[in-house]
Amino acid sequence: MKRSLLLGIGLVITGLYLFPLYWMYVSALKSSQDLFAYPPHFLPHHIVWTVGQVFVQHEMATYLTNSFLIAGGVTVICVVLGTGCARVLARYRNRWVDVALFAVLMTQVLPSSLMVMPLFVGFSEAGLLRTPRLAVILAQVAKVLPFYIVLTRASLSQIPAELELAAMVDGASRIGAFFRIILPLARNGILVTGILVFLQSFGEYVYARSMISQDDLQTATVGLSAFLGPNTSDWNGMMTYSAIYVTPILIVFVLLQRRIVSGLTAGALK
Amino acid sequence: MTRMIARFRDGSSFDLTLVALALAYLFVFAALPMLYTVVMSVQKIDMFTLGTLARPFVGLRNYAHVLAMPVAWRVATNTAIFVVLSVVLQLVIGLVLAIYFRQDFPGASTLRGLFLAGWVMPALVVGAIWRWLLAGDFGVVNFLLGSLGLIKGHIFWISDPHVALYSLIIANVWLGIPFNMLLLSVGLAAIPADVYEAASLDGASAIQRFLFVTLPMMRATLGAVLSLSIIFTMQQYDLVAALTQGGPSNASNVAQYWSWQLSFETYDIAGGSVVAVVMILVVILVAILYVRSTRLEQQA
Repeated sequence: MKRSLLLGIGLVITGLYLFPLYWMYVSALKSSQDLFAYPPHFLPHHIVWTVGQVFVQHEMATYLTNSFLIAGGVTVICVVLGTGCARVLARYRNRWVDVALFAVLMTQVLPSSLMVMPLFVGFSEAGLLRTPRLAVILAQVAKVLPFYIVLTRASLSQIPAELELAAMVDGASRIGAFFRIILPLARNGILVTGILVFLQSFGEYVYARSMISQDDLQTATVGLSAFLGPNTSDWNGMMTYSAIYVTPILIVFVLLQRRIVSGLTAGALK
Repeated sequence: MTRMIARFRDGSSFDLTLVALALAYLFVFAALPMLYTVVMSVQKIDMFTLGTLARPFVGLRNYAHVLAMPVAWRVATNTAIFVVLSVVLQLVIGLVLAIYFRQDFPGASTLRGLFLAGWVMPALVVGAIWRWLLAGDFGVVNFLLGSLGLIKGHIFWISDPHVALYSLIIANVWLGIPFNMLLLSVGLAAIPADVYEAASLDGASAIQRFLFVTLPMMRATLGAVLSLSIIFTMQQYDLVAALTQGGPSNASNVAQYWSWQLSFETYDIAGGSVVAVVMILVVILVAILYVRSTRLEQQA
């Protein structure tokens, strides 16, 4: 009895917290009259499906493709650069490892909106702004690589070093042991952390906004910001755009929820 | 040469290379830009000198120039209010939720996990949703507050200079709750159950157990969560861009957004760098506190 009461209250609390998400979907499906009804309707009276229209009018295919390319590039570079580093930092425990970890953590805390100016000036001097999406990828990797290293290190440190040693006794080189023993065992941890990095980069805003000037190279966040001027009125378009944008993210989240939670809790405090 | 290759394959050089690659990347794309900001903050920068590194050195004149701006104090106060209120509310709500979902009932951990939906969404989208929730005329928040009898009429959350900052805080608290709650749950789970049993046997009430068992045993976790929330809140740019753009007339402007505005909207790159340097110093100070508190926890 007490447990079902607790469950009931728990459901209400979770529902309250997730209400903004519900409101986004409901508003995306409402007609204009419905949307501006006051008091507001908590269920839509007439469902109006404008998804296709918003998707085409706001060129979401282009924007989402750019976001996808940027997030994909960031993830690939992060996994390639970060996994080995995380493994080494997980395997040894000495002063140099502490120093390296400290340096990694310090780069993680730098706010993007402050780092974008020096990166912009540096990139323009190096001619990188001619390929603005690559510039955004390079900048965003520096932002999420520390996060990737810290989380992957936590999941890799659960693999005992003895396994690697045993492989080397059996004649494997250190590189061979890394690729054939460690990586297969760490596959799940790397996958989850890689997805988190991807999701974060898929929603990146300040670098894209500041470094990309051509509209057809812009990301989905910048496309959304067209709705966000001081005199916003197209709420229906804004919520439909948002819903199209976040639905794939939420699907990935629901599918991987358990693993994301355990991956985050393992890494965040160690 | 073959010996070098052999050392690379079997010796420590391979490990060293792996670490060096990642650190070199971070050095080039994070540490160098940071140092470059410091350099730009003491240089005279205009359109003509933007392309070169050798710009005239002006000492601390840029700093004096920024401090003399009337909005500087406004922004500093706003940033302090934004950070303190966001962090305190996130921590209190996060702790209450973490304790609630620690209780034994079916689905508790699944429900707790659902909260992270807020964390995986792009902050700009979260800002757009709150913009609509908080809309003055047709916003659902005004309606709910009105029907509960808490307010009369409408609050213009975005355009009223007295409340714009608080709508940023509301959205930011919403965004930060999941992370706080998750980390605090981990801390709670680490407290051994027999400590509570012993306290109950000694006659401690629920409130006493919270004050004298939970809080002291959570000290290191609380320290870590607090510093992480401060850091995340000081990084928050997207919500400001989506909700108020710092307006109306800087009423809700915060330092991390103002610095960007100075650099990219008014082209006062030196001024933007000055604000950035000050913010980066604060963030790094907090980060050092964070590292220290996680150390404490590992020793405990």
